[in-house]
Amino acid sequence: MMARTLPIILLLFAAVVFPLSVSTIFLDVGIERQLGTVQKIFYFHVPLAWIMMLYGMVCGIAAAVQLRRESRMAEAIAIAAGEMVIVAGLGVLITGPIWGHASWGKAWTWDARQITTGLLWLVFVAYVLVRRYGAAGSERLAAALAIFGAVDVPIIYYAVKIWKTTHPSNDVVATLPPEMWAALWPALGALLATATAMVAVRARQELAEMDLDDAWVEAEDIAPAAAVMVKGDA
Amino acid sequence: MRLPRQAWLLAKNDLRQELRDLELVATASFFTLVVLVMFGLSFASLGRSVQPLAIPGMLWLAVAFVGALTLTRIFDRERESDTLRALLIAPVERLAIYLAKAAVTLVVLVGCCFVLVPGLVFMFPAASVFAERPWDTAALVVLGCTAYASVGTVFAAGLATSSGKNVLLSVILYPLTSPALMWALVATRALLDGHPAFSTYLAQLAALDVLLVFLGGWLFESVLVGSGRRGASPRRARARSRKGRQ
Amino acid sequence: MSDEVTPLELCGIGKRFGRLSVLRGVDLRVDPGEVVGLIGANGSGKTTLLNIAVGLLPPSEGERRLGGRPAAQVELEQRAKLAFVTHTTQLYGRLTARENMALFAELRAVVGAPTAPADPLLERLGLLHAADRMVGTYSRGMMQRLALARALQGRPQLLLLDEPFTALDRPGRERLAEVLVQERAAGLAVLLSSHDYDAVVAVTDRVVLLEGGRLAGEVQRGRGDEALGYRDRVAALGLLRPSVGIEAPPKEEHARA
Repeated sequence: MMARTLPIILLLFAAVVFPLSVSTIFLDVGIERQLGTVQKIFYFHVPLAWIMMLYGMVCGIAAAVQLRRESRMAEAIAIAAGEMVIVAGLGVLITGPIWGHASWGKAWTWDARQITTGLLWLVFVAYVLVRRYGAAGSERLAAALAIFGAVDVPIIYYAVKIWKTTHPSNDVVATLPPEMWAALWPALGALLATATAMVAVRARQELAEMDLDDAWVEAEDIAPAAAVMVKGDA
Repeated sequence: MRLPRQAWLLAKNDLRQELRDLELVATASFFTLVVLVMFGLSFASLGRSVQPLAIPGMLWLAVAFVGALTLTRIFDRERESDTLRALLIAPVERLAIYLAKAAVTLVVLVGCCFVLVPGLVFMFPAASVFAERPWDTAALVVLGCTAYASVGTVFAAGLATSSGKNVLLSVILYPLTSPALMWALVATRALLDGHPAFSTYLAQLAALDVLLVFLGGWLFESVLVGSGRRGASPRRARARSRKGRQ
Repeated sequence: MSDEVTPLELCGIGKRFGRLSVLRGVDLRVDPGEVVGLIGANGSGKTTLLNIAVGLLPPSEGERRLGGRPAAQVELEQRAKLAFVTHTTQLYGRLTARENMALFAELRAVVGAPTAPADPLLERLGLLHAADRMVGTYSRGMMQRLALARALQGRPQLLLLDEPFTALDRPGRERLAEVLVQERAAGLAVLLSSHDYDAVVAVTDRVVLLEGGRLAGEVQRGRGDEALGYRDRVAALGLLRPSVGIEAPPKEEHARA
């Protein structure tokens, strides 16, 4: 029951909080002096990026559980989380350059965070590709891919950071006044609730698909004679 | 003790087969040469000052290309008559299989770097640092290739035991090995610039190698034959089987 | 080799790939000194069942016991006592027959698993004259015999053979049957899948029929209806036509494995 009601609760929460947060962002928080209205995208960009990283980790951990325990629940969560990484990542990769174009004059600056996001997104697209197009048994391969992907996140980030300190660039992210942070939290809450609800629904859908497969196999079990006859005729 | 000894036997076996016709070494090193020539044609006009920016990329891109080719070939060879499966059934530590395959991949990759690095030195003046500091270069190349081989072996083996779809190897390999290649890039840039932090980067690359080999070894068996632990209750199955036997 | 230990016991084995159910509730037990034939049409799940038995595929349900012990994962000690010969031969073409044998003997020696000397085995299977030739130059039948020699050198308790007669000519088949009879006398348990009716009747003590992924019938030599001989009863299992021709290994089974 919990699994059924949780997405609804989360979505209701988001339905209430999201309009409030949008009104706070656009009406209450002052317009940033240097960047103007474009800076508002920050309130969507940053939560999406955090959601992406979070679900990347969730996917990696769920995949590890799936490999070790052959757990269906973990497999369903891994699939749902992997897809969420792609969706959130797409949001990040679209909003990021818009903001970057406004604040740095360049849409893509090869900043550590940008490269991390881009590569992580590629890894999870590969994950979905393997799940979809791999032969039988490739779900284990895909799980290993997700685990490596999750482990890669901090490594890439650190690597690029070091790269940048060797070759310092002029990009400076503006420090935020506290009122901006205050507006960020509700936006994060609303988006995170939506994303979690979507992951839960998707995972349940995946579980339902597995149950349907079970039901199909059981139905064949009940009428084996018919199944054999059908096969014999073919 | 049995792990390193079995790994050594398996690696020796692969190398002995390779020495009989040198197929892998010949094709991989020729491919390296071709890639090198392509890079030369594309980047010959780069000025001396910007060369250090391009050379690390050329080095590690070539390794990435050659590595994918090598991994495909090594496991195709096992696939031709299903010998990988024979090893999986034999009383052989799965970790030994992983280590042996990764080691052979590493040997071939390092062999290709014997073509690649001198070629770069020959074509680009800025790469002469490689010749001036051969030990640093060797350490860098070996550590970078180890990272690549340790990740690649898991997935090439996994694809070799499932049916077909070798296309997926490049789809998996390039995104996943990118952090390792980026570390190698960073370190190579530092080497070319004579940056004092080079040795730190090298040590970090070595640490990354340890992590990746550990992770690869941990996942290898699960990917190939599954972990075997599952939720289904064996008791029910046994009860059913007893009924069936009577 | 103790007689109390059951080399292979499969309890309620099921295997599914999503909605495709390849095996359902298969119970099979092979005792020491018993040769069991596994027959069935293409796609009935024979190869999948053998792959599960040796631990190359995890079953979707059911329990697998090897050497009397549960084998959720087939451990190294259990692998030391089993051998699997498939129609893909699993030999290194760039090594000689002796080297192929030696590699596995050395690998076994490292873990302290017993190994029989190679030459007598090669002689028994009629390969001694070609022992130093590259396996890549062998005919299919010779490879099949070498694969069997390599399987036997580990003195296994359990031998699984997937379509062992496929590439063999008549003398080769007779030799294989002869070897199986000898090894059975020494207590070896054998499970073999085949399309070859005569060969199956000649070497097995029991034949089980796999149909649509489940066991659909069983015939035991020297038991049951006295009026019909073993041969007739195997024929009556229905699927095998007398003296069936040799069929190529089915492609989709290959892919599944």
